[in-house]
Amino acid sequence: MRKVVHSLRLVHSLVWMLAGLCAIPWAARAADGLAPRPADSSALQSLRESFQRPSAVPAPKGNPITADKVALGRTLFFDPRLSGSGVISCATCHNPGLGWEDGLAKGLGHGGFQLGRHTPTILDVAFGEPFFWDGRAATLEDQAKGPLTSTKEMSMSVARALPLLSSIPGYVDAFSRAYPGQAISLDTIASAIASFERTVISNEAPFDRWVKGDDRAISDAALRGFVLFNGKANCAVCHSTWRMSDDGFHDIGLHDADLGRAAIAPGIVQLERAFKTPTLRNINQRAPYMHDGSLPSLAAVIEHYDTGFETRPSLDTNMRRLGLTKQEKADLLAFLDTLTSDDDPVVLAALPR
Amino acid sequence: MKRFPVLFAAALFSTVGMAADSVTVTQKGLVFTPNELSIAKGQTVEFINDDATAHNIVISGDGVSFNGGLQPAGGKIKYTFAKSGTYVVGCGVHPKMKLTITVN
Repeated sequence: MRKVVHSLRLVHSLVWMLAGLCAIPWAARAADGLAPRPADSSALQSLRESFQRPSAVPAPKGNPITADKVALGRTLFFDPRLSGSGVISCATCHNPGLGWEDGLAKGLGHGGFQLGRHTPTILDVAFGEPFFWDGRAATLEDQAKGPLTSTKEMSMSVARALPLLSSIPGYVDAFSRAYPGQAISLDTIASAIASFERTVISNEAPFDRWVKGDDRAISDAALRGFVLFNGKANCAVCHSTWRMSDDGFHDIGLHDADLGRAAIAPGIVQLERAFKTPTLRNINQRAPYMHDGSLPSLAAVIEHYDTGFETRPSLDTNMRRLGLTKQEKADLLAFLDTLTSDDDPVVLAALPR
Repeated sequence: MKRFPVLFAAALFSTVGMAADSVTVTQKGLVFTPNELSIAKGQTVEFINDDATAHNIVISGDGVSFNGGLQPAGGKIKYTFAKSGTYVVGCGVHPKMKLTITVN
């Protein structure tokens, strides 16, 4: 009986929250771009459905995924010999044990050089074009070439990488299986790494089970957080779709002078200091946060969106002071926790010699 | 009363004429609709932002490099395609949005 009363109270409070959303300018967007005004439980159901996971993983026509490419790409991804120093692999920064990031505010590159931005995750990257915080790579294949050859990151020249790989029989065999009739090249290296990365997909999280209809998959607090996420807190205006990212670029008022997207696409004030919206999948495993790694916790992130951002001409028009209560902040955190999945163990390849 | 059919016919002709000169493309749900378009040289395309977030129309192809600036929610931008060719229309804020326009 007590449980029934509790459930009725929750429904009652959610109805009030949903009704309240109608009184504020509604800008929340879901998988189809714009969510309807959630005036009742059918609107909540509609929102819920808009976060459904896709049934297939996309791959470009020019680089269909094959088992041989994935196996080769996995080996290359974890091989530190692909760096100028011989000690940095892709996985050094994209560590599967740290949410495919490195746990640092800003990545460390060749010779311990501190890079300019926080390492983004590669989780669910198959769905997330364009790439890098500023979107300078249109394809995952182009992205893979960047850190490999950057003198500040892995610092591996093509002139050195190709003879190295060609001298290792295991790699020669793996390349010939994955790319029959093609020479080992920067293109085939990047193609294989991209193919592997397209298999790094998050498993179903509690939130996904709730989206599929399991009402008990997430807590009452998380459900309230979900409504806030799409309403008063206005998160979903950019953190849309099942990955919670519109793959767009926004200035969210961080205290950092990095030009971001504007350096790639100049001419629009609002793209100054704008960076790509990151996915929120497994977000509680991926601290610190933001492109500059300046926020140490999700609580700090919520404080930033509530009142901590800098107001300036380039600030995204959807940024506004939220006036969140302590309970609402806790509810948002509870919701974010439901986006973390129990992912499959990562299989490491024995590096060929 | 006799003038009514004449006025009605004129209005209908006028509407058809406008449709031929201007084509509408909507930006909703972070996609262009339609996402492929074939128009005649000299026609104008009007882009209407039906999303709640800002977009940025950028057009490239056949020597054209157009940046429409920030297009707020509800904003409309017109562009007249003066030369035949194939053009790619994108969004500077949401680069996943793509539209191909063939001008005959």
